[in-house]
Amino acid sequence: MEEIVRAEGLKKTFTLSKKQQKIERTGETRRVAVNGLSFSAYRGEIYGLLGPNGAGKTTTLRMLSTLIKPDEGDAFLAGHSVVKEPEKVRDVIGFMTSELKLEGFFTPDYLFDFFGAMHGVGKDVLAIRKKELFARFGIDKFAEVQVKNLSTGMLQKVSLVISIVHDPEVIIFDEPTNGLDVLTAKVVTDFLLELKAMGKSILLSTHIFSLVEKICDRVGIIIDGKLAAEGTLGEIAKGDLEKTFFEIYHSVKGEIL
Amino acid sequence: MKLLSLMKKEFHRFFHDPRLIVTMLLPGILIFLLYTFIGEIAYSDEPHEFKVYLSGESAVVGVIEQGLRENGDKVEWLPLEDEEEARAAIEEGEATAILTFTENFDLLGEGARAGIVYDDGSEDGIYFYSFVSSVLIGVGMRFPIDVETVKEDAAVGTEFLSALLPMLIVCFIFSACMSVTLESVAGEKERGTLATILVTSAKRRDIALGKILPLSCISMIGAASSFLGVALSMPKLMGVSLGALGGYSVWSYLLVLLLMISIVPCIVALISTVSALSRSVKEASGYVSVLMILFMVLSLVTNFVPSMGGPAYAIPVLGAVVAMQKILAGGLAVWGSCLAVGMNLLFTALLVFVMTRLFSSERIMFGK
Repeated sequence: MEEIVRAEGLKKTFTLSKKQQKIERTGETRRVAVNGLSFSAYRGEIYGLLGPNGAGKTTTLRMLSTLIKPDEGDAFLAGHSVVKEPEKVRDVIGFMTSELKLEGFFTPDYLFDFFGAMHGVGKDVLAIRKKELFARFGIDKFAEVQVKNLSTGMLQKVSLVISIVHDPEVIIFDEPTNGLDVLTAKVVTDFLLELKAMGKSILLSTHIFSLVEKICDRVGIIIDGKLAAEGTLGEIAKGDLEKTFFEIYHSVKGEIL
Repeated sequence: MKLLSLMKKEFHRFFHDPRLIVTMLLPGILIFLLYTFIGEIAYSDEPHEFKVYLSGESAVVGVIEQGLRENGDKVEWLPLEDEEEARAAIEEGEATAILTFTENFDLLGEGARAGIVYDDGSEDGIYFYSFVSSVLIGVGMRFPIDVETVKEDAAVGTEFLSALLPMLIVCFIFSACMSVTLESVAGEKERGTLATILVTSAKRRDIALGKILPLSCISMIGAASSFLGVALSMPKLMGVSLGALGGYSVWSYLLVLLLMISIVPCIVALISTVSALSRSVKEASGYVSVLMILFMVLSLVTNFVPSMGGPAYAIPVLGAVVAMQKILAGGLAVWGSCLAVGMNLLFTALLVFVMTRLFSSERIMFGK
């Protein structure tokens, strides 16, 4: 199997503000979010980073998408280093998170062209991709409707399609179904399976067991910024992912939930 | 290519939103209507009758008389025999002004001076003074007139142009820049749409320039609208004829225009930087309002501090204000203007660099 994502000893530490220290009732000024994380994802698979809130999933995905820099270690996406070649990495990935929004004033048609240009996609290629993707995900009828007037489900579809405007090799998705209603969540999971069928490699983070069981080929369990377990569902869970997760959590943290 | 797309997006956002266009042009229209209305109340359209004490001879006197006659006004010239008596008559409202010319005035040689004494509390006095000053500038006089008022208040007229206009220009440019830049930078950061662009492979420098360049062009439209509003309402508001503006040379106009153009990207870059550092539009507008007041106060101060000369030209924005004040007072200030324009461009380039760093900073762009 060909390695498409390789994280090598990623480490990220944040400074806690006085306000954060007060909220968390802690005297520590530094917090290690990701602590020497290493894992690999292979071409054509859906890899899930599973962990509780604060485990370091989002920080890891932000480092992989070059939005933040690792303090130590490096990661390679389609052979490009996030530390040394951030712009090349951004051209081979599509990154989706609820924090990234589309300007409500513009139409899906305009934004598709704009983000295509941002990734350096040629006009001819862009026109073909737009026609194909808009038809495939039912956006074509809403292509000239301002984003602010779209339904939540359609907006999610538009965001997803725009994130892959440049036909990236790797799609990184932070908490893909978090906060979505059941219909929109289904749009997203169907979209991810479609992408997989198109031969794309997908890396997602989640704390939802059912999502991992439904769509992930392999999973990495992350606790306190470290990889606690990694493998296929069969290798890790042997039938019950939730039970296995809490056993691992207990063995790492020494806490009984 | 990416820079071009980023610029097009900003233009598209502005020119396809009638609300934004109206917001940009409205201040100019409102200024024109408001100032004209105030002027209508303050000044009557009745023909004026002036009694002016005259000392010395000049062909300018004939030009003034003819100009006033064309406006339907009358002027009676009285010989200046006792200045104290003449001043008392002006103060009493029995005469309008004292106008003096040195012997060699028409030769415009060394020592050629013109002087005027008038009552700046009288409508006739202000009207006559502005008319005379516009005529003097119009005939090519390039040095200040000796202006005195019978009361101790400051004079208005061309001094208004040189003292207040640069400050008003900065104020209008700042307002125009604020209305588009805050929304485009702080607004996009707050809404998370800027982060979506940061995930693409566009260079951070292109993203910074892709904001500053188009926003500067758009802001110039707003600033021009406000400036036109003032210029067109000035005849009504101050009794200052637009002829006073027409008296400046083409070079003066070009220099003022160049100075104005150089201020715009400077202020846009400054507001963009503050916006990038702020977490919300509200926070950014708070900081920018303080900056605007600071610039306004400094713009006024420079006019009343005579020692503000050479070094002041090197201060971004303020240098341009000082240069404009010099030009509008009848000087040319070519080197000062060039220095001011250069410093503005340098400061803009520096802020583009700072913005590039800010867009690359995870603490600034993604910090909570």
